[in-house]
Amino acid sequence: MPDLQFKATINGRKISRNAKPHQRLLDFIRDDLNLTGNKEGCGAGECGTCSVFVDGTLVKSCLLPVAKAQGTTIETIEALAKTGELSVLQKAFHKTGASQCGYCIPGMVMAATAALRTNPFADREEIKERLGGNICRCTGYQKIFDAVELARDVQNGTLPAAALLEDETEAGDFIGKNVHRIDTPSKVSGRLKYAGDMTMPGMLHVQVLRSPHAHARIVSIDTSAAEAMEGVAGVITNADVPGEDGFGVFVNDQPIMARSTVRYVGEAVAAVAAEDPLIAKRALSSINVVYEPMPAVFDPDEALRAGAPVLHDYAPDNVTKHIPIRVGDVDKGFAESDLVVEETYSTQQIEHAYLEPEAGLAYVDHDGVVTIVSPDQNITHHRHMLARIIAKPISKVRFIMSPVGGGFGGKEDMIYQGMLALLAMKTQRPVRLVFTREESIISTAKRHPSRTVLRMGLMRDGRIRSLQMKMICDGGAYGLSTEGVMRKAAILAAGPYVIPNVRVDTLGIYTNNTPSGAFRSFGALQTAFATESHLDICAERLGLDPFLIRRINAMRDGAMTHTKAKLGSVSLTRTLDALEKASGWDTGAPTSRGATRSDLNRPDIRPPCALGARLAAAEKQEAAE
Amino acid sequence: MLTCDEYITPASLDEAFDALAAHRGRYRIVAGATDTLPWAREGRAGDVHIPVLIDVTKIRELRDISVGDKRVRLGAVTPIQRFLDDKNLARSLPAMPRCAVWFADDQIRAQATIGGNIVNASPAADATPCLIAHEAEVELAKKAGGQIARRRLKLDQFVIGPNRTMLEDGELVLGVECDALPNYGGSFEKVGHRRSLVISLACLATLVKLDAEGRRIADVRLSLAGVGPKPLRLKSVEDFLRGGPVTAERFDQAAEMPVSLVDSRTRQEYRREVVRGFMLRGLINAARAAGAQPDVLAPELEAAYA
Repeated sequence: MPDLQFKATINGRKISRNAKPHQRLLDFIRDDLNLTGNKEGCGAGECGTCSVFVDGTLVKSCLLPVAKAQGTTIETIEALAKTGELSVLQKAFHKTGASQCGYCIPGMVMAATAALRTNPFADREEIKERLGGNICRCTGYQKIFDAVELARDVQNGTLPAAALLEDETEAGDFIGKNVHRIDTPSKVSGRLKYAGDMTMPGMLHVQVLRSPHAHARIVSIDTSAAEAMEGVAGVITNADVPGEDGFGVFVNDQPIMARSTVRYVGEAVAAVAAEDPLIAKRALSSINVVYEPMPAVFDPDEALRAGAPVLHDYAPDNVTKHIPIRVGDVDKGFAESDLVVEETYSTQQIEHAYLEPEAGLAYVDHDGVVTIVSPDQNITHHRHMLARIIAKPISKVRFIMSPVGGGFGGKEDMIYQGMLALLAMKTQRPVRLVFTREESIISTAKRHPSRTVLRMGLMRDGRIRSLQMKMICDGGAYGLSTEGVMRKAAILAAGPYVIPNVRVDTLGIYTNNTPSGAFRSFGALQTAFATESHLDICAERLGLDPFLIRRINAMRDGAMTHTKAKLGSVSLTRTLDALEKASGWDTGAPTSRGATRSDLNRPDIRPPCALGARLAAAEKQEAAE
Repeated sequence: MLTCDEYITPASLDEAFDALAAHRGRYRIVAGATDTLPWAREGRAGDVHIPVLIDVTKIRELRDISVGDKRVRLGAVTPIQRFLDDKNLARSLPAMPRCAVWFADDQIRAQATIGGNIVNASPAADATPCLIAHEAEVELAKKAGGQIARRRLKLDQFVIGPNRTMLEDGELVLGVECDALPNYGGSFEKVGHRRSLVISLACLATLVKLDAEGRRIADVRLSLAGVGPKPLRLKSVEDFLRGGPVTAERFDQAAEMPVSLVDSRTRQEYRREVVRGFMLRGLINAARAAGAQPDVLAPELEAAYA
């Protein structure tokens, strides 16, 4: 494989290095030059966090073979604040709070820099369009657009440079004030190191072999060919687990790697640590796993039927957790009601899609402490579990939480940290695993898909007498946070409403789908979607305004919830007042009044986004000339 | 992950054909590479090893652009961004700037090429229907017996199906030549799952030339993609509209005509609705860009489809 002799000017310095002919520019700048400010979020040109300038043109470096950049001048995010002084744009991002997890931000700053270099007078619509190739998952785009507009105005002199400074606040008075986030400079400059940016001398690269089957018995695993490969430092399977295997949040039903059975497509089966990722990848393909496929079940209702495939011996009915709540006499409540409405609601599986795919670095330190650095949202719990799994005292296990490039609950599970620990112990060298986007999607937890049957009995005046809900959730192959999600779903099932008779059942069910886990709102979304949709339907049936039906049933200060929590203060009616006012709600039952509604197409409602802002701007300019 | 043993960047056509001959059966041509790299990933082609990648973006014949009164010649490696930067191109290819905006984001548009879009032959390719509406011909060349043999094919005959073209082994796309239509109004309508950087569920290129009074259609070109195995030129609709007045009624009738052509593998009902709407919106936008009299387009129609 003849290497390329690669010459370029990078961030003002001339370089001449060997590069692999297949390398992408992104790999070259991150791995070979250790310029890790620009990130890899997707590897497929979708997210834009890898954006760099090549001869002044912004490109996505994950889509650019390094050979294409031969002889060019390249600027990475590190070029913008070279001497430590942030650029005007970076300061503007700091001012407006346009960074949260920060993982998309280097690309956003680069795209914004390109936008203002191309058109220093770009309006907000054009800025939006020019940043269209960059995805953010947590900051929210408005603050980013605010930052670009602020930088534009400061650069053009229509705002003073002082506009970039932090708003003055009186001591201790921060609410409603624009306070600088202390971590923003590290994020807008690309200086912050996420786990995938970290390296250690002698570090090995890890790749994971994953199950192609949804449900199968592992007959045998032969790793001998992989072990014998040059450049391979260690191979692990479940047989390498020294202690009591099994992790989870409520039930420790998940092994570090599949033990005798695989239960979903994408489950880890073996892992390799090698001198470079390509060798590790090739070693994976030489591991021979013999599977004996077993019947699988993909629907929670089917998993509940007698004779359905059973995933875990301890749960022969496939029920991960059932949370029942009983208040009053629901049937009597229905009998007393003037109107009984029953509907079925469903919500789908959702991927968290944080911009930072999972990554971790592990090593055994000089005192024999197994150390894991990863964007782990639950390090203390994981530390205790891992100590048991690797049979070490807790003092010999350390978790370090690296900056989390977006989590939303999706990084609460110890999906890969165990494998890293085993490989660091086996090789006695630092090991690093960086997931691809595809790997992240296929193997990590998702939001629970749900199916809810909701029956509500109401009086003619809108008072709710009875609520009966049965929600069945697909928990996937392992327990993870399912129990907690079912609990919270049940607790919030009746909404913030006073209902005398309640019967709630939430069930998390094992299936051979990708495991479901924690995801922002943690079960509240599924039941609230059903309850709130149902209230709108009931309001329509009763001819009531949807705000009114909620006010009629609203909990007030001092209310008791259906799970016997006494609420000192309830903000629901204030929330409803604010919402009604802000939306300009056209009072009345939510029957279809179409275009005659007064609350549609108002000037203060953001119009749907459209493309072509730059063409309109060019036409305007031409007309002016 | 895409791996290769060698990455060759020929500087001339001769060098390129030498490389093609030397590595026959072991190479893949690369232009912008914006489709090649995502293709070689899990879920699509997976890990792919191609012994030799041959990058054609430095070859002069593939880079040259010329804009004449009658015809425009675009080198195969012309980046999509040129249709936004180059005013001559934008004037002669009036639907192209809007197509370019929809095509991808700023970064990918700088890298992706017109030739790559054609050769990929995606049923949802955005540039291809625009070029088909311009009566584009593909310039092809291969080296046989020491001589470079060139040929031309109409673009709508070159693309024969999903990811299939008439390109022969050892043959290169040098460029495309198409009609210069500077006095036409152009529009490009597209819908996908998001606004930026998305594959078309359906797209329509429309070009309209009006008579001197701005009331009748002197000529019209329509090409639809994303609704079947390959882009379609809508000649019978063009014939129906040509010479007729610009009226809401005529546009309504025309909008109905291609609806039955929807032959996609999925979401046919949705696409039929889209095609109907796009026909109206495309014709209105193109007629307006061509200088239609303000009174000929019914305001309510315009408002509904603007």
